Amino acid sequence: MSVDQGVFRPASVDEAVSVLARLPDARLISGGATLVAMINARLIEPAALVSLAGVDELHGITENPDGGWRIGAMTRHRDVAAERRFTGTLALVQQAASLIANATVRNMGTIGGAIAHADPGLDYPPALVAADAQIEIASGKGRRRLPASEFFVDWYATALQSAELVTAVHLRAASDGVGLYHKLARVSGDYATVSVALTMSSGVAGIATRAAMGACGPTPILLEEANALLSGSPGESELNRAGELLAAAADPVDDVRGSAEYRRLLIPRMLARAFTEARAAIGART
Amino acid sequence: MSAAFESVGRRLPRIDSREKVEGRAQYIADLTRPGMLHAAMLQSPHAHARIRGYDISAALATPGVHAVVTGDDFAGANRMGAFIKDEHALAKGKVRYVGEPVAAVAAQTESIARAATQAIRVDYEELPALLSPDQALASPVHIHEEVGQYFKVFDAGSEGNLCSRTELSEGDAELGFRESDLVFEHHFDTQAQAHVALEPCGALAEVDPQGRITLWSANQSVFRVQACVAEALGLPHSRIRCLTPRIGGAFGNKMEPHVQPIVAALALKAKRPVKMILSREEDFETVRARHPFRIRIKTGVKRDGTFVAREVEVLLDCGAYADDSPGVLGYGLLCARGPYRFPHARCHGKLVYTNKLRFGAFRGFGNPQVSFAGESQIDDIAEALGIDPIELRLKNILRGDDRWFGGQQLFSNGVKECMERSRDASGWDAAAPAPAAPGRRRALGFALCGHISGLLATGAIVRLLEDGTVVLNVGANDIGQGSDTVLSQMCAEALKVPVENVAFVSPDTDGSPFNWGTTASRVTFMTGRAVVSAAAEVEKQVKLHASEIFECAIEDLELVSGGAVAVKGVPEKRISFFEISKRAHWFSGGPIVGSNSWVYDRPTIDPKRAVVIGLPFPKIGAYSFAAVVVDVEVDEVTGQAQVKRAWSACDVGRAINPMLVEGQIEGGFAQGLGYALFEEMVWDGARLANPTLMDYKIPTTLEVPYEMHSIIVESVDKDGPYGAKGVGEVCLSPVPAALGNALRRATGVRIRSLPLTPEKILRGMLERKQ
Amino acid sequence: MSRDLPVNLEINGAAVALEVPLTETLLATLRERLQLTGAKRGCNQGVCGACTVTLDGVAVRACLSLTLNCEGQKVATIEGVAADPLIEALQQAFVDGGALQCGFCTPGQLIAARALLSQNSDPSVEEVQQGLSGNLCRCTGYRKIIDAVLSAARSMRK
Ligand SMILES: Cc1cc2nc3c(=O)[nH]c(=O)nc-3n(C[C@H](O)[C@H](O)[C@H](O)COP(=O)(O)OP(=O)(O)OC[C@H]3O[C@@H](n4cnc5c(N)ncnc54)[C@H](O)[C@@H]3O)c2cc1C
Ligand code: FES
Ligand code: FES
Repeated sequence: MSVDQGVFRPASVDEAVSVLARLPDARLISGGATLVAMINARLIEPAALVSLAGVDELHGITENPDGGWRIGAMTRHRDVAAERRFTGTLALVQQAASLIANATVRNMGTIGGAIAHADPGLDYPPALVAADAQIEIASGKGRRRLPASEFFVDWYATALQSAELVTAVHLRAASDGVGLYHKLARVSGDYATVSVALTMSSGVAGIATRAAMGACGPTPILLEEANALLSGSPGESELNRAGELLAAAADPVDDVRGSAEYRRLLIPRMLARAFTEARAAIGART
Repeated sequence: MSAAFESVGRRLPRIDSREKVEGRAQYIADLTRPGMLHAAMLQSPHAHARIRGYDISAALATPGVHAVVTGDDFAGANRMGAFIKDEHALAKGKVRYVGEPVAAVAAQTESIARAATQAIRVDYEELPALLSPDQALASPVHIHEEVGQYFKVFDAGSEGNLCSRTELSEGDAELGFRESDLVFEHHFDTQAQAHVALEPCGALAEVDPQGRITLWSANQSVFRVQACVAEALGLPHSRIRCLTPRIGGAFGNKMEPHVQPIVAALALKAKRPVKMILSREEDFETVRARHPFRIRIKTGVKRDGTFVAREVEVLLDCGAYADDSPGVLGYGLLCARGPYRFPHARCHGKLVYTNKLRFGAFRGFGNPQVSFAGESQIDDIAEALGIDPIELRLKNILRGDDRWFGGQQLFSNGVKECMERSRDASGWDAAAPAPAAPGRRRALGFALCGHISGLLATGAIVRLLEDGTVVLNVGANDIGQGSDTVLSQMCAEALKVPVENVAFVSPDTDGSPFNWGTTASRVTFMTGRAVVSAAAEVEKQVKLHASEIFECAIEDLELVSGGAVAVKGVPEKRISFFEISKRAHWFSGGPIVGSNSWVYDRPTIDPKRAVVIGLPFPKIGAYSFAAVVVDVEVDEVTGQAQVKRAWSACDVGRAINPMLVEGQIEGGFAQGLGYALFEEMVWDGARLANPTLMDYKIPTTLEVPYEMHSIIVESVDKDGPYGAKGVGEVCLSPVPAALGNALRRATGVRIRSLPLTPEKILRGMLERKQ
Repeated sequence: MSRDLPVNLEINGAAVALEVPLTETLLATLRERLQLTGAKRGCNQGVCGACTVTLDGVAVRACLSLTLNCEGQKVATIEGVAADPLIEALQQAFVDGGALQCGFCTPGQLIAARALLSQNSDPSVEEVQQGLSGNLCRCTGYRKIIDAVLSAARSMRK
């Protein structure tokens, strides 16, 4: 085999990073669900691939001593969808995973590959932003962590630099409360037309809510101002105002999944439903 | 089911089931020939441009390339087309839509061929792109400058960008509107739907040393392929032999040619077998699709609900080539009156060339579009009159041997039974309908329609082999719907042999009798009748032998179960087909062959009743019927509709195989559901924006209700084989209107354009609130 | 264009050594190199499910798998699962229940249904719908496919 062609199978993250550094044109391959579709469509023709399958630390979901979670980048959507330990506010991550594509694609696709691809219609990005997840990134200089809201930077663009890779997604410990992910799609398994991800917990100061909208712009939309309106003891006017703010911040496209106007119209509506449902669930719990 | 039948009426598994579940069924992409090359095509980047010239030298010089064809390889006169001969094998002189095949390459591998197509240089001179019928009708630029000189099989009235026009009328519509108490007039629009047969199109051609072409392809008629390739290449039919592998679904898209003429030309040039399989994207961009219709519909009624007059005017986007479009226009108009008594009706319309891919045959053939308009409007009329929509229809439906629009008499009529059975099964009249979930609205909707199953020519040959088993040869492709099985059942029934003893011959233009095609719901009815008649011919000969052996009169003999002849009333005095066929082969009479062929013989139009201009079907008929009830729930937040349950009652004359009939009803419903709710080909300027399955969505298991109840109504048609009629299309056509009517009843919103997207529904609900 | 590179797989129980380009999909390898044409190409984009096979026992899209990236893995196609009692039960139920028409989606449906039933021997209608939602069928409307899967599950539980 020529030194710079074929599939490289590093056994560690360091090895993966050094292959990427040596071969700038090499592409990472995780599940391949997106990468191979792009190859088949003749959008890319890589000469070398770096498979992360053999890097043990990238596989699986582990609980941290503080109750938080580390989801290895190579963890399949199937495994996140089947994860029953994501309770309370974290349930939305499991729900988002279970709504990705279909059972067979969930057997293939990985969380690392999905977020690195950063298609605005994907299910993980808004869920991870709402869950305030951290993305762990490895490079030749070591590891760094970024909040999900800073990881997604533009249409199909992330904060990843060249020769960097996603190694894990970190979730803080679940709070008692509710995590919801609602997705509108033309048919099951389609990319979202609009999605809403929401966490809600209750404390002495009332409820604490974080909401992110998916598929309404280049990156998930989360506004601290909207979250503040949705926290404490919000009434209908706060809820409406939060919806308006999110809709105003949206930059949706017109495409075959729906017009930009329709997406804007849906933001406050889907937000309101998710909010109301979460609130009812919290009420039922306390 | 009648106990008198042995094979007819049984729920037999299809005869090609085993090979299909074992992955051994061979489709076009699975075939190979020794020395076979692979082909790829170059598609037009322009919607409308003159081709000034080609430079194929770089492509030809690419290692591994064996042949290149362009429009220059096809003589100007060699045009094909079912109704209007306006199309070359690939673009010649001009390109007329984005994606049109311009050149093709045969090479050692598909990737070499694909790369070589990109090395072909084409010198284009761009022309204005005409992307809608209105734009095309108004433009001095003509997509087909020579439309006047094209050969046409009917009086098309072509002029400029007008491809054809058709008009039918009975009575005096204007008078009818004056006599009506209330007149309703609405506009409807329908979208382009892609067939999405799961198998993309493809073909494989091989040329023998004498220069004769053998051609396998994904197709609905080996004879249509033969005729079109012959026309496109300027060859006699006898130089082309067409065969069929298993077909991976076809809904009209494989009826007329796709790449067969291109592949045949490449094989002639390369002197090697050549195969081309389209990618899903190419299939979307170049094959064909369901026509967008713009419809104006006007209906006059009496205050008591009696229908008086209807006028329907349609404008069809033809796309760049006529293909089956003139037929779709004519047929759509023939169906636009619906299965109702209207003393006065006038249906007319135009078909206009545009710079889009050709539109063509698609399950329903114009009927889903006009039924959407007509059946939606009837619900609006019922609402305005305060009459239950089913009651209003029952008051006006065709009864007994009433006549279809144009004057053809019905030979069977299950309309009322379809309506009543779907109504009763759905609980339409129940005091408390199924409750909606919170935040949702729910209601039932109804629609009705009729569809033909008889037209054009067909044949059948039934032979007894030496051992008395049977070979059935009809030339009709089984495209997945199960005709091989159904025709075998009819043959077995006619000869009283077990179905396993009937071998079904794969269609072959060298050996099979002519069959126009597997289309228009016609195979069970048309070919079935030929099979029954050919079998009767065999029966006659078999009895002649038996009468000689038993020295009795033919009238005293009967066929008995298991493939034998016996003396009536004396079952032990019997002789098997085995013995008879041996005798015929070796002693007397010669091998036993029965054959029959016919062309549908009932005129569409009774000139005493109807006036027509430009109707391309002199003889079609044999009507089937369907009534559909759907239970739909709408999400108030998003506007998204979900079909919870459905009941589809279809009058099929007689179900030769009820399991396969249910399969048609269920599959047709699902395809109609996709058409109604979300399927839509979208253009971004001249370019198709969603030519992939990522972007063009068809229903999955989660959109089609599991509670989809098929109700088989058997009206036993005097004209049909064992009373059977077709079911393939009638099951789809009423679905969009039924869904639209349910939405209206659930939300108060009436949507007059397909698809019924969440966006339109939500906007409608919000507008009503204001 | 990339050169051919070596890869070793186990396909339907037999060891196979091949040389293929980096961008060749498992679907192309099976169909074009090995003439295992049971898996079909309906879209080459992962949407239709006609190419579904199993890789180390897990159902995957052959069109989204690169052959070189399957080094050392076990591939099973419809041609190779014949002796499996679960697939036999599914095949019989599909035949008897009329769960196929053109048959183009059928091998993929069967592999996906087998994956479903091997994890859940007594699925509900809803679970079968979920499990097969990635396998498009344009002919049947799905009702008979779902019924066949339920009936195969019943026959296996007996
Ligand atoms: C039919 C179909 C339907 C789908 N529907 C949905 C849906 O409804 N919702 C949804 O959210 N998604 C959907 N997807 C996308 C799916 O989630 C993919 O699995 C995901 O986008 C990519 O994951 P992967 O592991 O397969 O990545 P790959 O295809 O392996 O890689 C994707 C990209 O990320 C890069 N990459 C991979 N791993 C890393 C890493 N660790 N660090 C940095 N870069 C990396 C690759 O080089 C490549 O550019 C669908 C996909 C398909 C095929
Ligand atoms: S061909 Fe692989 S999913 Fe369609
Ligand atoms: S049987 Fe034809 S696609 Fe499923």
